[in-house]
Amino acid sequence: MTRNQRLVALAALILLALVPAVVTDTYTRHIFIVAFIYGTVAVNWDLSLGLAGLFNFGHLAFFGIGVYTAAILTTALDISPWLAIPAGGVTAAIAALVIALPVAKLQGIYVVLVTFAFGQLCMQVVLSQGDLTGGAEGLVRLPYLSIGDYAFIRDFRFAYYYVALGLLTVSVISLLLLAHSPFGKSLRAVRDNPDYAAARGISVARQRVLVLVASAVFTGIAGGFYAIYLRVASPEVFGFSVATLILSMVLIGGAGSILGPVFAALALTFATEAMAGTRGLEEARFIIVAAAMITVLRIAPSGAINIFSRFLTSGRKT
Amino acid sequence: MSRLLDVQGVRAGYATVPVLHGIDLHVGDGEAIGLFGPNGHGKTTLLHTISGLLTPTSGTILFDGQDITGAKPSAIVAAGLVQAQQGNTLFGDMGVEETLELAAFSPRARDGWQTRLEEVHSLFPRLAERRRQRAKTLSGGERQMLSIGCSMMCNPRLLILDEPTLGLSPRLKAELRDAISEIARRGVPLIVVEQDVEFLLALAGRLYLVEQGEVASEIDRDNAPDHQEIMDMYFGKQAH
Amino acid sequence: MDGVLIPTLVSGLLLGSLYALMASGLSLIWTTLGVFNFAHGALMTVGAYFAWTVSEQLGLGLFTGFVAGIGAAVIAGVLIELLLVRPFYGNRSMMLITVMTTLAASTILERGISIIWGPRLKQLPRVVEGQVEIFGAPVSAHEALIIVLAPVVLLALWWYTGRTRSGRSLRAVGQNASSAALIGIDVPRTFSLAFGLSAALAGLTGVLLGSIRFVTPGLGTDPLVNAMIVVIFGGLGSMGATAGAAYVIGMMEALLILWLGLYWTPAVLFMALILVLVFRPNGLFGRAA
Repeated sequence: MTRNQRLVALAALILLALVPAVVTDTYTRHIFIVAFIYGTVAVNWDLSLGLAGLFNFGHLAFFGIGVYTAAILTTALDISPWLAIPAGGVTAAIAALVIALPVAKLQGIYVVLVTFAFGQLCMQVVLSQGDLTGGAEGLVRLPYLSIGDYAFIRDFRFAYYYVALGLLTVSVISLLLLAHSPFGKSLRAVRDNPDYAAARGISVARQRVLVLVASAVFTGIAGGFYAIYLRVASPEVFGFSVATLILSMVLIGGAGSILGPVFAALALTFATEAMAGTRGLEEARFIIVAAAMITVLRIAPSGAINIFSRFLTSGRKT
Repeated sequence: MSRLLDVQGVRAGYATVPVLHGIDLHVGDGEAIGLFGPNGHGKTTLLHTISGLLTPTSGTILFDGQDITGAKPSAIVAAGLVQAQQGNTLFGDMGVEETLELAAFSPRARDGWQTRLEEVHSLFPRLAERRRQRAKTLSGGERQMLSIGCSMMCNPRLLILDEPTLGLSPRLKAELRDAISEIARRGVPLIVVEQDVEFLLALAGRLYLVEQGEVASEIDRDNAPDHQEIMDMYFGKQAH
Repeated sequence: MDGVLIPTLVSGLLLGSLYALMASGLSLIWTTLGVFNFAHGALMTVGAYFAWTVSEQLGLGLFTGFVAGIGAAVIAGVLIELLLVRPFYGNRSMMLITVMTTLAASTILERGISIIWGPRLKQLPRVVEGQVEIFGAPVSAHEALIIVLAPVVLLALWWYTGRTRSGRSLRAVGQNASSAALIGIDVPRTFSLAFGLSAALAGLTGVLLGSIRFVTPGLGTDPLVNAMIVVIFGGLGSMGATAGAAYVIGMMEALLILWLGLYWTPAVLFMALILVLVFRPNGLFGRAA
């Protein structure tokens, strides 16, 4: 990152931290919180899809696993939501490890198919295990967060706002550190030049396993938080529509750029929420998002995917 | 002699790299011409441009009086201007006979395709022997035969052959050259790219030397160069 | 056991037939263009809804409905090729980009359908009424028709790609587009042909499915994941292997439902897939690249 970009990121963080002081209505804060959660999911998807060039189309499964881990732990086992949220990160990481086994060896379209099928399978399992997951209706009235007597649902989303922002910030900083570490550099090198891996004795399989697990951790935690925050777990998180929404954040923000998807997440969440509140656009908003994604791909077909390499080279020059 | 193919001031290239810097050449009806010159100087680019795989950035290509500049490859083949690709690159999982039958694809090639198939078999008896074999299991020479055979199935009015004997053993080279001479004898106008100028001189009336994306010189039987002059053309005068 | 086993095998045959129809459509586009069409399931849904509107709402009869459904799917499929695939032809990341554009197309079609037709469940009438017996197991005549029709369609497709001029041109373009162009094949037109044909298969599958399941906006996208498991098992390269895998998966699914119940079947099926892939990364029937 250039110094300028670092300053922009820092300024954005400070501005976002000041928002609750200015914005007091619950609904706007709610949209910010959802945007932070989606942003966390999007940047972590960007790690596997954009930065490592791994054709992972099952990322939302990690999110959904986090959602249901937190929901089941708090409802069936009465575990504190403070523990249930990070537990979502653990189960998502374990799931990532399982899916990484075949994915590490596969090529091209088969990676897409296996990861995608994995996401759909998770939905089928959730739907079929109705006793535990509530089936198609999902689980409702999950416990909310509280510290001592301070209940997070009675402060107009003030505390939730900072938890969500904190989650996003920690996740983005970890990803930036990872991207600039030797591991991150070798990821990009292998993505841009597969022969490089063989020449330098880098194990692509090992890279893929690590990337998938790393990208699943914060995604799963975000899922856990999402469930506890909304107090609902619904199988819709595994569906095409949410995946298209988050994928469009990654692409519109510029795949591989990490910060880009964060801003795209904010913009798109507000845009889709505004459309959801507009009569006649409730259903059409998903169509509009999908069309926007196609437009981005048509304007910058490889730009959307390879922006990160340019981003970094420009960073190195300055 | 009327001009069957007339290439006028053609410039073309890949992405931002220009390769051809204004090529002029022509082929008369019933004529065979040869192209030679160092590798990487634009011969294959020129042929791809004529066949429509590449669109020229400027210049005109006339075929039989029709402007075919920038036309689709399929339309150019349908007009009878057919190019055989440098070997090895056909349809690996298709059988020999199946490939030849498919090659009679454009409307002008459909009538009398059985007769042409027999002609191809008489030209390359080996293709008849291997009719059920898949293309990818053929040897390099056989693939080259199949490639030329496919072009013959297109019922060409002008046939372009891009280094048909590249990388073949001397015996196969001779076999293919006999077949090419036979095609010329049957009256099919030809453009042949070859490194062996003596073979070209025996086959073709005129030769063009393509160098650095331009026609560096035109040669016919009357001003045919001797061996030393050819070496000079390739390597420059400073070579000796 | 006999009393349960035969109906199970018949239902496996039915599932296999549906997967074979779906997977052969996916494989047709993959082998010709190197594109995996994630909107294939949505095209099935398009077919079923148009068939329903023409046949039930307009009352023009089931046959007209079928024709309309298949026609609508073909138009949608060709549009997807023109607008969402062709602009990226020749791009280095074409495979990845078209995954995303066809995924987006699937969302657009599915949501568009639910806006136009609303959430109420619909159902197409059966092509044939009554019951028949297969090895002593009673089956509805409509389902029996699907079981018979699938291999007929697959054989017709095999004959078409192997024996006819335009069918062979599909294979030629898939194996080497520039060589195909040099023997006079119009490559872009062949791409449209592949998409149109695959969409016709999707439309047909959709209208057949629409009379044994409720027609919902998710009609086609729900079984898509199983069709994907089929193509991973069989490899996308050859239609024969894909069809074989479809019947294997259909049978496995039916037997697993019998032994484990509906709940665990998808998970076990997927686990089996992962195991296969760990040991055979090119699929069960796939050849090494």
